[in-house]
Amino acid sequence: MSEKNCVIVVGAGPAGSSTAMGALRAGAAVTIIDRKTNVGIPVQCGEAIGKTGPGLAEISVPEESIRATVRGFRVYSPGQIAVDYAEKEPSGYIVDRRVFDKELFARATEAGADSLLGARFLDITRSKGVVNGVIVRHDGQRKTLEAKVVIGADGVNSQIARFTGLRKSYKPADIDSCFAYEMANCELEVTDLMEFLLGNEVSPRGYIWIFPKGNGRANVGIGIGGTIETKTAKEYLDHFLKHHDVAKRQLSQAKVIEKRVGALPVCGPNKTNVVDGALLVGDAAGHVHPITGGGMGYAMVCGNIAGRVTAECIMKGQVSAKHLQQYEDEWRKIYGSEFEQSLKLRELILKTDDATLDKLAGIVTGESIVRMTAGKKVKIFMKAMATGDKHLIALMNELRKLRMV
Amino acid sequence: MPPTTSTKKSTKKLADIDGELCGICQACATVCPVNAIEVTESYLIVIPEKCTGCGVCVKVCPVGAITLIER
Repeated sequence: MSEKNCVIVVGAGPAGSSTAMGALRAGAAVTIIDRKTNVGIPVQCGEAIGKTGPGLAEISVPEESIRATVRGFRVYSPGQIAVDYAEKEPSGYIVDRRVFDKELFARATEAGADSLLGARFLDITRSKGVVNGVIVRHDGQRKTLEAKVVIGADGVNSQIARFTGLRKSYKPADIDSCFAYEMANCELEVTDLMEFLLGNEVSPRGYIWIFPKGNGRANVGIGIGGTIETKTAKEYLDHFLKHHDVAKRQLSQAKVIEKRVGALPVCGPNKTNVVDGALLVGDAAGHVHPITGGGMGYAMVCGNIAGRVTAECIMKGQVSAKHLQQYEDEWRKIYGSEFEQSLKLRELILKTDDATLDKLAGIVTGESIVRMTAGKKVKIFMKAMATGDKHLIALMNELRKLRMV
Repeated sequence: MPPTTSTKKSTKKLADIDGELCGICQACATVCPVNAIEVTESYLIVIPEKCTGCGVCVKVCPVGAITLIER
């Protein structure tokens, strides 16, 4: 490994590997480091990814990681009113993250990135206030790795974010606490839709998901708000599996083949993700959809931008925040309003009681859910007025303030 | 054991992570206001010198692996 790396990417997940590939394509030298020695393990995710993100990032989804193709979703309201959305053609995949992450990482190294696994981040180094490297513990030794730019792709608990001051600790309300089982022997009613279940009883401030993984297997999980103290995420999921109609119909014979835990930022992107000599990508940057919790697509697209911009800045010899800001500007141009709108929508949904959500489920189509979660306008105002329900109409007025109906 | 050198507000509580339940999701670490939970290759550790015993980590653990114990 070279002593003076141009770019050090901390974290070998999809965000890190995508960033590395972007930087390599633009001519920079890259070293990816990771605390772990097994990339992709443990899996901490619903494993769903749309086709759009990888397409924009020009990174193909590794064939060998694909477990199922999906065409859309089925959302169950608290009172179990199902709303379906399905496109004619597959619009996304459920992948095996162990394979997905590993393959992206392998590709990044094949494209020229150096790798250093089992390297635990200890500190950043600075010269005249500009980040210029990291200190890690590797093979029992403390090592300093120099860099022109350090990229934090180190997830929700990003140490690069903390050490650069780009983010302090999250408030519990700003994260979702997740628990999931990978299950075999499932009897899914639909094998090409992702199922979501909402409701205060089922999963307060979050949702339960059932994602098909082919051959009777599924990723079944829950994310609940970090402020929920009544029960743990695991207890909510276990209760669901035992008592809920939707689970009884599909998962009564299912067996657990893997247990997973995770945490998600659901408060939108950090105010800024650049400082002199460093930037953040992926979950570390808060690039997670505040409602769906999806993050892989954003990680790939924004990572790709970050890599290219970093390489360009290094070529020009200008790695200050002012110049790295180009990355912020570019990703915000694509996703800025989507994050802003869906954050407001999230707040609104959290305020809405279960009975009103049921009424909403009665008038929305799958199409409108897609538009809403993308922060776009929907035509449901007249339908809501026609119900004459004052809670639903009040909700519409709130949505109108957000210019979403 | 309370460290004698601690400058933190003295509390009698300390976060304790049950290694058998913990799945290393780091939810606890993300909300820790003093960055007292460190991640090694295969487990999480609470740095007693940093932990103030505030208990915010207990709330967010998806499996209930964290308890506050007496120092």
